[in-house]
Amino acid sequence: MSDNTKAIFTGDRCLSCTSCMANCPVMAAVKEYRGPKLVGPAHGRMHFSQEDIEESLNYCSNCKSCDRACPSGVAVSTLNMLQRAEYYKKHEHLRHEDMLAHGERMAKLIRMMPFGATFSNIGMSIGKTLGIFSALGLAGERNMPAYASTSFKDGFKRIKQAPASKKLVMFTGCFINDNEPQVGQAFVKVMNANGYEVLIDEGFNCCGSPLVVTGFLDEARQHADNNVARILDWKRKGIPVVTPCTSCSLMLKEEYHELFGEHEMHEAAQNVYDAFEFLEILQERGEFNENVKPLNQKLLYHVPCHLKSQAIGLPAQNILEEYKVAKVQTADAGCCGISGNYGFRKDKYEISMKIGAKLFERVKQQDFDKVISDCGTCRMQIHHGTNIKPVHPIEILAKAYA
Amino acid sequence: MRTSDVIVVGGGLAGLMAAAVSASRKQSVTLLTFGSGSLPLASGAIDFFNADNPEVAIKQLPDTHPYAKIGSKARDGAVKFLCDVAAQANLPYNGRLSAQIPVVTAVGTLKYSALVPESMDASKLAAKQKVFVVEIKGLKDFYASMIVDNLKKYFPAKQFETAKLDLKFLGGRDITCMDAAQLLTDNEQPLANELKALNAGGDDAIILPPIFGIAGNFSRSAVQTQVRAEIFETTCLPPSPPGMRLQRAFMKYLQNNGVKFFENSKVIRGVVEGKTVKGVVVETAVREKTFPARKVILATGGFYSGGLTMREFDKPREPIFDLPVFFPEGADNWSNVQLFGDKPQGFSTTGIFTDDSLRPVDSSGNVLFDNLHVVGANLGGCDKIFERSAGGIAISSAYKAATV
Ligand SMILES: Cc1cc2nc3c(=O)[nH]c(=O)nc-3n(C[C@H](O)[C@H](O)[C@H](O)COP(=O)(O)OP(=O)(O)OC[C@H]3O[C@@H](n4cnc5c(N)ncnc54)[C@H](O)[C@@H]3O)c2cc1C
Ligand code: SF4
Ligand code: SF4
Repeated sequence: MSDNTKAIFTGDRCLSCTSCMANCPVMAAVKEYRGPKLVGPAHGRMHFSQEDIEESLNYCSNCKSCDRACPSGVAVSTLNMLQRAEYYKKHEHLRHEDMLAHGERMAKLIRMMPFGATFSNIGMSIGKTLGIFSALGLAGERNMPAYASTSFKDGFKRIKQAPASKKLVMFTGCFINDNEPQVGQAFVKVMNANGYEVLIDEGFNCCGSPLVVTGFLDEARQHADNNVARILDWKRKGIPVVTPCTSCSLMLKEEYHELFGEHEMHEAAQNVYDAFEFLEILQERGEFNENVKPLNQKLLYHVPCHLKSQAIGLPAQNILEEYKVAKVQTADAGCCGISGNYGFRKDKYEISMKIGAKLFERVKQQDFDKVISDCGTCRMQIHHGTNIKPVHPIEILAKAYA
Repeated sequence: MRTSDVIVVGGGLAGLMAAAVSASRKQSVTLLTFGSGSLPLASGAIDFFNADNPEVAIKQLPDTHPYAKIGSKARDGAVKFLCDVAAQANLPYNGRLSAQIPVVTAVGTLKYSALVPESMDASKLAAKQKVFVVEIKGLKDFYASMIVDNLKKYFPAKQFETAKLDLKFLGGRDITCMDAAQLLTDNEQPLANELKALNAGGDDAIILPPIFGIAGNFSRSAVQTQVRAEIFETTCLPPSPPGMRLQRAFMKYLQNNGVKFFENSKVIRGVVEGKTVKGVVVETAVREKTFPARKVILATGGFYSGGLTMREFDKPREPIFDLPVFFPEGADNWSNVQLFGDKPQGFSTTGIFTDDSLRPVDSSGNVLFDNLHVVGANLGGCDKIFERSAGGIAISSAYKAATV
């Protein structure tokens, strides 16, 4: 692929066919959203020369269903995000937008205080009770993700790994690092079982996905430049970068380049793999450790939008089924509705729950042992909507390596 | 990667049908598509051939026509299969190959198709006493008075009445039929109340734009059971709820039958060994991924969908397997690309030629690959727009390819 994947060049290919609109879950949920702005029959090819800014664009959740429906390879959602950034050039960010965009910064601050995570989790629930969430513009109905008392990266130092000649760098992602370190631990166990020593690069920033969707594009660019430079360093050493978070992998592999169009971003992207994509490549090379035990479980798999967009099939399902670890049934119930921090905004909460309703209904049938999903915020949304707590498929595989 | 019994490339009508029929025969199926295909834009009616009796007209077509390769067994099988798939999603279809059914278009003309959703079957319109044409406030591109003017040309003696209902759909964007269909879902009562107030009797008809939901026939039933007059839906501009309903019916069938459906997956080439296709290669943002298969069905559509491309003037090609594409030579034929003219267009007869098993052939008729089958809009040898045969060719070629 070449530079023509840069989003602003793809708009010219729009045929005004309306497929993007027919597949947008937010348009289906609210009539206020006028749909993708720079493409489609309503707006033609007006590009960025256009002065007026479409306010209703703040409804877009960046779920990317439009991109997947488009027959012409238009990067519809990224065009929306670029437009959103234009909007914030002339408008102040709201306080909750700032908070949601900077989860990484908040987590760091909290951990610097003694007993920070405990206090902040208490603080989160007090804040909720007192209606402070709501006043800030956050969805009061939600539990904020609880911070783990020890982040994954802090706990990582205590994991004993046998040194191996084969190494990979794990891009942890903020959610796994701050909220679900057990997923990171499962990742390390699986990669170790496959003969890889896992390294952590403390110099990585948040991939920037929460910044992009809240219109902090300049900051996202700084993150991109830093991360890309580091990934290229690892690439020169022949060490791949692998992440168990599908939104991070999509950002690193595809969205940096779509948004900013620098050639190095594409070069770096070639060294980035989603966790199960990486395992499937090992499988294809005959290097996958097949020594797994069957767990005799039936799993319901919610496939995250950001995995569907990567066009890598369903490697987690393939591996879990191929080695008879578990039976995997896909939920096929569309977008979960949360789209990163979208569903955390007070004014978007209801929309996000409406979009997720079909999936919740499916999950509540409970004809399975566990729900799996590769995306942290999808897992949170399913938990919130059904009271059933999903796990990452890598946690299942880790259990199968006794 | 496990080897699929069948890989279908393309998720338009032909691809969905090929995957569904293959799965019904206990094959493991993977469908790879880039873009959602033209079904959500199409009317939902399946045209077989523009003739009073399509079945008879099709039998008189020359040997080079795709229908001649497909044969009557696959055509009949396809009609039955599609109706079954739709019925399973509570989307009843009416029709057969030996006659055509009238459908009221968005502008009030009648068009005829072999297979139409029950909600659009206007066969009984002629026998109705009075026809109410109902417009919805705020809905774009649907004008009751224009529809009445045009319908009067077909039914000069009939009584017509127009009405405009306010379903409180305004207060957001301009609404399309798709939006109205989504807003009406599980919220049918206000419409039912308004329609009841028209006092239309059991011998009357009510004509509405296609706004009864985007899944099955649920919304229409919820209203029809409360209204004595028979309700008909028209066609509309895209996105088209009736097309989306058929697409969803197929998706449900594919899910229930274990088909792996991968979106955003652009196939860039085949993996071939001699005359055997071993699989296909998908291009992702940064690397390629191979999907192995025992049989491949190519349902990538025509020029519009990228199944055929024309980078150089006069040199159309099929981009995945580089199959030969036949077309009328010379610039003369090209100058008369007038899409809706009264003669079949050279340009639109362009496509891939096949043997009777729908395997691609070269100019001497030699089969190029033993386990590759071509279906849908990329088949050459006929002008599907002129003949009005696109839908029929899509589903019956898909049925054939899945069953040979
Ligand atoms: C606006 C409109 C209205 C229509 N109305 C009617 C009607 O009233 N009656 C009727 O009978 N027919 C109608 N049709 C036509 C009908 O939908 C046809 O059956 C259809 O065009 C042919 O279907 P197909 O599956 O062969 O191709 P398409 O629907 O074009 O699907 C091809 C699919 O393959 C995908 N693809 C292409 N290249 C690749 C690749 N390299 N890798 C992966 N995927 C790829 C495309 O993105 C697309 O999703 C209409 C079509 C349109 C566009
Ligand atoms: S990214 Fe999602 S919400 Fe935004 S326009 Fe596309 S489909 Fe709609
Ligand atoms: S789906 Fe693609 S080509 Fe069609 S209107 Fe949307 S952006 Fe344009």
